[in-house]
Amino acid sequence: MHEISLVQGLFQQLKELAKANKSSRITSITMEIGPLSGVVVDSFRFGFDILSADDGLVQGAKLIVEIPSVTYTCTECGHKETTAEKKPGECQKCGELFLIPEGGEELILRQVEME
Amino acid sequence: MCETCGCPSPSDHSNSKTIDVHTSLFAANDAIAKANREHFDKTGIVALNLISSPGSGKTTLLEHTIEALKGEINIGVIEGDIETEKDAERIRAKGVPVIQLTTGGACHLDASMTHKGFHRLEKEEGGDAIDLLFIENVGNLVCPSSFDLGEHERVVLVSVPEGPDKPAKYPRAFISSHTFVVTKTDLLPYFDFPVAEATGDALHLNPRLKTMALSATTGDGMEAWLCYLRELVTEMKVNRS
Repeated sequence: MHEISLVQGLFQQLKELAKANKSSRITSITMEIGPLSGVVVDSFRFGFDILSADDGLVQGAKLIVEIPSVTYTCTECGHKETTAEKKPGECQKCGELFLIPEGGEELILRQVEME
Repeated sequence: MCETCGCPSPSDHSNSKTIDVHTSLFAANDAIAKANREHFDKTGIVALNLISSPGSGKTTLLEHTIEALKGEINIGVIEGDIETEKDAERIRAKGVPVIQLTTGGACHLDASMTHKGFHRLEKEEGGDAIDLLFIENVGNLVCPSSFDLGEHERVVLVSVPEGPDKPAKYPRAFISSHTFVVTKTDLLPYFDFPVAEATGDALHLNPRLKTMALSATTGDGMEAWLCYLRELVTEMKVNRS
């Protein structure tokens, strides 16, 4: 459950952003959470809900989560497949089992709306 | 009507603004990890981050590794645990510099703890002449895999009693690692652990993974592990000369 400490890191960033922009209330946060980031979206949301309830700046803010896609390259024929869903079990072209993922490890704060 | 959310009062949003940020939540950790790695490179230290479930035999493997490489490679150890000095005491008994990091509840080490830990280690006897640094992470196959500590290689371990399904169940640890070690192979006669299935699943997730299987207690398979460590240390020395 490292998601809580990641949410704490997020709140630290939000605090600095709010200060720099002279804002006292954040209304919406957009995050990009890659399927290979090791972060469970539900746990992240859970941490966000719990911590934001006690945080004057973030209280009531909307958390929008976007899942970026991953490109899997076949080690045999080089075929590339891009998906934000589960890793394909095999190459769709040649059936090879070994596919190398690219991307999908991101945990990015993309956009913040504040008042 | 307000265009932002459809509420009937546009004035409520007159002060609202949208800011594009695009920074990673790992950015702060990654920056410290990078500085750690640069420091290790500068001082010629190979750093390994050991990740596994509790009880997979990380400390036992380290004890036997220290014995086997005594007089050949100077080893230093950073032990990560939630509580107690027990692991550090076991390693200290082998006569190498070691410090214990207790996270006090946190389920993983991060780059900042590693940074502080390493500077403490440097002050220990022999801590200024380390060739090979083992960072034994908190026993957990999930959270440690998301935090770069500044290591050169990440080693994930699974012991035979845990079962062969760990790579399939905890993919991130295997995707982010360089090396996969099956430990306690002396117990293979008593458990249903097809080594080929476990390593096959791991390679399916990460085709670049180096794999090995060993028993620290009997010494079976240890030579491949020791060769791997020797090669890393030699490579570091060659790169620096």
